[in-house]
Amino acid sequence: MNTSDTQRMPRWRRILTMTLLMLGALVFLFPFYYMVVGALQARRNPSLSGAIPWLSNLTLSNFSQINSAINLGQSLLNSAIFTGAVVVCTIFFGVLAGYALATLHFRGRGLLFAVVLLLQAVPFQLLMIPLYVMLVRNFGLGDTYEGMILPFAINSVAVLIFRQFFLQVPREMFDAARIDGAGEFRILRSIAVPLVRPAILTAALVTFIGPWNEFLWPFLITKKQSMEPLAVAVANFTQTGLAGHANPMGSILAGSVALALPAVVLFVVFQRYFTQTHASTGVKG
Amino acid sequence: MKRSIIILAAALAIASMLAACGGSGGSSSGGSSATTSRGPITIWYSNNPQEVAWGKQVVAAWNAAHADQKVTGQEIPAGSSSEAVISAAITAGTTPALIYNTSPASVPDFQKMGGLVNLSAFPDGASYIESRTGAAAAQYKSADGNYYQLPWKSNPVMIFYNKAIMQKAGINPNNPPLATYAQFLSTARAIVESKAAKYAIYPSPASEFFQSWYDFYAFYAAESGGKQLVANGASTFADAAGISVEQLWRTIYAGKLAGNEPYTGDSFADGTAAMELAGPWAIATYGKMAWGVAPIPTSGGMKPTAIYTFSDAKNVAMYTSCKNQATAWDFLKFSTSLAEDKALLVMTGQMPLRANLTKVYPAFFAAHPPYKLFATQADRLVEVPNVSNSIQAWQTFRDAWTSAVIFGKGDVSASVTKAAADINKLVSQK
Amino acid sequence: MSAETSHRRVPELQRKAAAAPAPGGQRRWRIKRVLGEHPAGLLLSAPYALFVAAVFVYPLGFGIWMSFHHYFFTAPGAVVPHPFVGLKNYATVISDPAVRASFVHVGEFLIINVPLTVIFSLLLATALNNAIHWRGFLRVSYYVPYVTASVAMITVWMFMFNSGGIVNRILGPLAPNPAWLVNTTWAMPSIALYVTWKQLGFFILLFLAALQNVPDELNEAAAIDGASRWQSYRTVTIPAVRPATTLVVLLAIITGANLFTEPYLMTSGGGPNGATTTPVFLLYQKGIEQGTPDVASAIGVLLVIGVLLIAYASRKVTERE
Repeated sequence: MNTSDTQRMPRWRRILTMTLLMLGALVFLFPFYYMVVGALQARRNPSLSGAIPWLSNLTLSNFSQINSAINLGQSLLNSAIFTGAVVVCTIFFGVLAGYALATLHFRGRGLLFAVVLLLQAVPFQLLMIPLYVMLVRNFGLGDTYEGMILPFAINSVAVLIFRQFFLQVPREMFDAARIDGAGEFRILRSIAVPLVRPAILTAALVTFIGPWNEFLWPFLITKKQSMEPLAVAVANFTQTGLAGHANPMGSILAGSVALALPAVVLFVVFQRYFTQTHASTGVKG
Repeated sequence: MKRSIIILAAALAIASMLAACGGSGGSSSGGSSATTSRGPITIWYSNNPQEVAWGKQVVAAWNAAHADQKVTGQEIPAGSSSEAVISAAITAGTTPALIYNTSPASVPDFQKMGGLVNLSAFPDGASYIESRTGAAAAQYKSADGNYYQLPWKSNPVMIFYNKAIMQKAGINPNNPPLATYAQFLSTARAIVESKAAKYAIYPSPASEFFQSWYDFYAFYAAESGGKQLVANGASTFADAAGISVEQLWRTIYAGKLAGNEPYTGDSFADGTAAMELAGPWAIATYGKMAWGVAPIPTSGGMKPTAIYTFSDAKNVAMYTSCKNQATAWDFLKFSTSLAEDKALLVMTGQMPLRANLTKVYPAFFAAHPPYKLFATQADRLVEVPNVSNSIQAWQTFRDAWTSAVIFGKGDVSASVTKAAADINKLVSQK
Repeated sequence: MSAETSHRRVPELQRKAAAAPAPGGQRRWRIKRVLGEHPAGLLLSAPYALFVAAVFVYPLGFGIWMSFHHYFFTAPGAVVPHPFVGLKNYATVISDPAVRASFVHVGEFLIINVPLTVIFSLLLATALNNAIHWRGFLRVSYYVPYVTASVAMITVWMFMFNSGGIVNRILGPLAPNPAWLVNTTWAMPSIALYVTWKQLGFFILLFLAALQNVPDELNEAAAIDGASRWQSYRTVTIPAVRPATTLVVLLAIITGANLFTEPYLMTSGGGPNGATTTPVFLLYQKGIEQGTPDVASAIGVLLVIGVLLIAYASRKVTERE
């Protein structure tokens, strides 16, 4: 927290900044708010007054409507399994890879980093069908959680974040430990991992969003409705399942709220821990 | 950095060679023994609730009589992406024995991929199909004269109208004037001007390749007296009939009688539009609305018994991954028998692709007069042409339509002529 | 990179020379020569490298191979020739006006999206970093769009921006006609606005992390030297977060060039008159819907090459200052 900065600001500037920030925040939040209001409305109301949750128009029936079309509970569970596995895999293997890429010199390091960057640039749709054929035809992983998880198992953006983080850690911390005779794995365990905790949270959040919101790949790999994560179920419902519902927009919004809420809640709960400790504090003194 | 790039490029080149070997090779599975073997099979049907109900009962009926050849039924999402799901499954070899949701437009592609079983190869293959469907079966033959799909059910596209809205607009709700283009336009204008509904009719303006089936193709079938989009390797729609259909719709969009933005939900059921172009499957979604049905208008007016329309058929195909094709063929015949076709009719309201429906099920149609209209229409249906690159052709058509008709850009005849030329090129490629 | 390694190599060689004579150290020294100074790094990054090889290198290699052949997917067991056609797919793609248009559209998108993203995420990150009150609420509100699925948000956005929607009602006569997403001029900018809004949270996060690693001492020193707030911001803070800025620009360009979900969901089928087609959208259409993965792969390869060139150029620009 740059308190020195804020203390130097004249008061009017502080108020102005805060006002602008608040206005911006409200603009950012508005579509989300509109989505929640729409999910709770019994009749769709596209006019200005529709943005206000009139008590007379509120209902939970949209949620039960969409639950009858797609099983919300089962889909949420599938999403949780898919996302949880990806986050765990990414953090575990990503920290190792990020650390190695940032601080260690080994043959192939440059190549691996180049590949990581290249991977970002290639659109997934180009890889999708060959990947599908490989996983389903050669490994028989169609309609399984493993098949869903594998292409996303280690998130490269997280690896980049870890690498970035370790790059900003002063080398002296690791060199000092090496001079003291510590082996590489010891250094990793006792110095690198405790240090990287704030970055783990950032990386976990960034990694979480991918599989939680992904609809194209799980759609392709799962046939059974009972295996579909919620994002796929909502996307399908938006495209085909609307006929016969009294308030189709309401049902879609209800499904969207169900999809968005856990992510937002998780985020609200964990954002407190994003206050980062200065890496420089380890070197002083 | 340079060295990394070289190594990476080499790795990619090696990987691509390996991939090519692995991808294109592959041992042949089954082969001729599959045609005569029997055993358990899986089938897929769409996730439309009525069809699911029908599917479950036909599977249960079969399994009760054939314990050694169990059938397992599964739903697949029936949206625009069902083609992607099926073609991916074909590539991976995970297609079931039968899919009761095969779109005729995809059959040429699936056939090219080697995914479909030639039904004419069964001893009674062609004869069963032709005796059930009659003369209309010819539209479902592939270029080599064989059947790679069994014509199953159709949803003849006709005009549904909302009687209450017609009344409010001052139009006779039991017989609104919709026979000629002039009448159609004046009815539509009366509806919009009287504010009885926001739009007269609201077909989806989205640009997916299949959307044209429900606006252009239905009208073209009627106006041209039953022509397909492509016949004998050449586009047909650059004729007078096609151009007048396009001009009619251009007038409709220009006069804001139809909306040019995608609508979430069902505009007809919501009362936003007074009319809808759909088949009998939609009746289940109308609830308590008082609705009527009219045939597609033509420019000069025709007798209703002579008007054609688009079939919106969904067929059944047998896929080459099936190991027990004899069972699959028997089940296919079982599920399209007189009794099961009747069950389909009763449970879903959709028309089985059976010749002379009204004569075969007189009791049902006597009890449900509105469906009789669809049944008689079912004798005059136009199917999408069975040509190579059909999906690309329809996408080309749709792109030209949205530009010239929905957004009114450029000259209609020029756009149609260009689309026809582009499509000629596409269907002549292999 | 080469300057860095040669700079490091001198002390490396010195250290190796010092280590070599030790009796048992001969073998370790040889291992280090082959595998690098820290061979443990290979072990640590091996799982990730394997994952990348399987999930990325193989399909990409296959895709590249497809782009040079006449290829379509076939059922297992179907024997179909896939003749080598050289650059024919590339020629088809380059001469197709629809494909060229899609690259233009994506360029239009990037021109709007990247500068807005970099400027606003840096400004907002700075403001958030200095805010004391309501910090939690502010952070959450800027991140919420990023965390929500496009599948979910798009319905709301379309509902808000359609011809009878709330935005047009507020704008009244100023509203474009036809409405935003079906308007050939405004469709792509609408999508760019949506994507910028949605992804800002992620880039704010990156800048926040970088800002919090700027030591207070630097700003204090500048203040003592008499610099104004704007001056110290310009000369201390902005250079200090340059690695983050490079990363933000790079990621924004790369994800922007691969735009698919939003055009696919918001303007299904390519938008009014094809105004919102992007290369990846055409890749999906041609490769998966229309069964011509060979042409689609050619588009993909061209796109990747283009993105890499732009990314390389942008890196040169941001790192030169």
